[in-house]
Amino acid sequence: MKISDSNFEILRDFIYNFCGIYFQTGRKYFLESRLARRMEVRGLKDYGDYYKLLRNGAEGPVEIKQLLIEITTNETCFFRNTQQIAALERQFLPELVETKKKIGFKKLRIWSAGSSSGEEAYTFAMILLEKRATLLKDWIIEIVGTDISDKVLAQAKEGIYNNYSVRNMSEFYRKKYFKEVTAGSFAIAPEVKKLVNFSSLNLFEDSRMVFMKSFDIIICSNVLIYFDAPAKAKIVQHYYNNLQPYGLFFLGQSESLHSVNDKFKTIHFPGGFAYKK
Amino acid sequence: MNRPNKAMRMQKAEKMITQVINLPTIPETMMRVTHLLDEPDVELDEVAEVILTDQVMASRVIKIVNSPMFRPMHEIKSLKRALIYLGFRRIREIALTCSIIKTFEGQDGVFDVRTFWEHSFGVGIVSKIIAQRVRYPETEKAYICGIVHDIGEVFLSTCHAEEFRKIVALIKDTCHSFAEGELFMLGTTHCELGLCLAKKWNFPLEYCDVIENHHFPQEATFDPMLVAIVNLADLFCSVRNLDYDNREWVSFNLAEEKSWEILRKFSPDFSTMDVERFCFELDEKVVEIEEMVRGIFEK
Repeated sequence: MKISDSNFEILRDFIYNFCGIYFQTGRKYFLESRLARRMEVRGLKDYGDYYKLLRNGAEGPVEIKQLLIEITTNETCFFRNTQQIAALERQFLPELVETKKKIGFKKLRIWSAGSSSGEEAYTFAMILLEKRATLLKDWIIEIVGTDISDKVLAQAKEGIYNNYSVRNMSEFYRKKYFKEVTAGSFAIAPEVKKLVNFSSLNLFEDSRMVFMKSFDIIICSNVLIYFDAPAKAKIVQHYYNNLQPYGLFFLGQSESLHSVNDKFKTIHFPGGFAYKK
Repeated sequence: MNRPNKAMRMQKAEKMITQVINLPTIPETMMRVTHLLDEPDVELDEVAEVILTDQVMASRVIKIVNSPMFRPMHEIKSLKRALIYLGFRRIREIALTCSIIKTFEGQDGVFDVRTFWEHSFGVGIVSKIIAQRVRYPETEKAYICGIVHDIGEVFLSTCHAEEFRKIVALIKDTCHSFAEGELFMLGTTHCELGLCLAKKWNFPLEYCDVIENHHFPQEATFDPMLVAIVNLADLFCSVRNLDYDNREWVSFNLAEEKSWEILRKFSPDFSTMDVERFCFELDEKVVEIEEMVRGIFEK
């Protein structure tokens, strides 16, 4: 079912205003197919009617949650956000190392908040492992992955992935850090696993959030979208408090922090944003 | 950036300009158009006649008029209609743009000259958008100044290819900009080189101001608002894929940028803009800009 340009723009703006994810024209067909799946469930044949349901229907609030799940499902993979990785390698990691060296603290703490099945946290681990002999020689590295779902945490801890998860990864990393256990099934290397600790955490639980202290990098991609504006603001405030003064906060590639928090400063880099205190 | 003083930078730039034997020149047609437009009682037909003596320029004027930037209701097919649509004030600017494109045509230098124009037209288009948002009265001027701001860069790439190649290699994989690399290697930058060329070509003063100060808008002497607009557009394009194919690394915090400060003073509403969304929308324009540049270069 084809979506018209005007309906695409209406739904794109609605989604952006609701959750802060911006669908660029280039991803129109992706959004179209995900919307179509939800419309089928709802027995609707017109994008305009679906928009009305989201906006004014009694089922609107329930449906938007379902739509967001549809939009973000299967979106995670290793080395997903290439521009963010490039910025880390080229600029932010060397800067962090420089700053921490000055204060004599050779330890990096990274938090993948809403880590899902672990691809993002393990990606960080591999990138840092590659710098073990150079930039991060003799450094202590701690990567924490948290999620509310025990099911995805179990997957993360197991560390077995399919073809889809490794699709974005270079041959170099796949060969070096994965073992194909059965056809199309890849086990991550123990040295990568060792760097990451996965645990269960509800981002809305204040009493536990206050203990997630002193991170150099916090990354929270496509997670805030599930929360309403006050909840988002509260969670981001926790990130702000838990970040080192020189630390960095990242969202997903198409996500925006606009109107969520005005304390963070936005650092622009080629293809993305980082947020700093 | 620690810079040698202005006089020294200019001296070096002037020397580098004189070293070039076949210095690019602005086409004869452009000179004649400019002179004609300076006459008080000029007729549109006369201008059209002069431009038509240069078929490439004539077809480019038509292409630019039909581009997303000016997009008329119906496609304009004749030069005369294009000139009527543009009006006298814009004819000079469009003719100038076409001339500069022609000046560096076929001189690929260190990198494809099209990469250069993609960045330049990107900066032109974004300058126009910012100009509209901050209510700068002459949006077309912002557009043209955006297009010509890096003229010194294309000069370096084509006329001092050996040095420029070294600069590109020097900043590769680092966090440095072209200007920083140039200053280190040459003691001057594309800003001063561009200014020397602009003066040679008798560019208007505000163009010179933009070309010279687009990395330091606080040093603008003639039109600080215009320079700030182009500076900001340049920064945005450099982080949103209109960036000389990633050859230089640009990273910035808007709150610390002088241009942001300058524009907020002129237009307080500007600071409430959703900058992230602005960037996402800019990403969408990239394809359009690339297509436009391709169109302009098609023979």
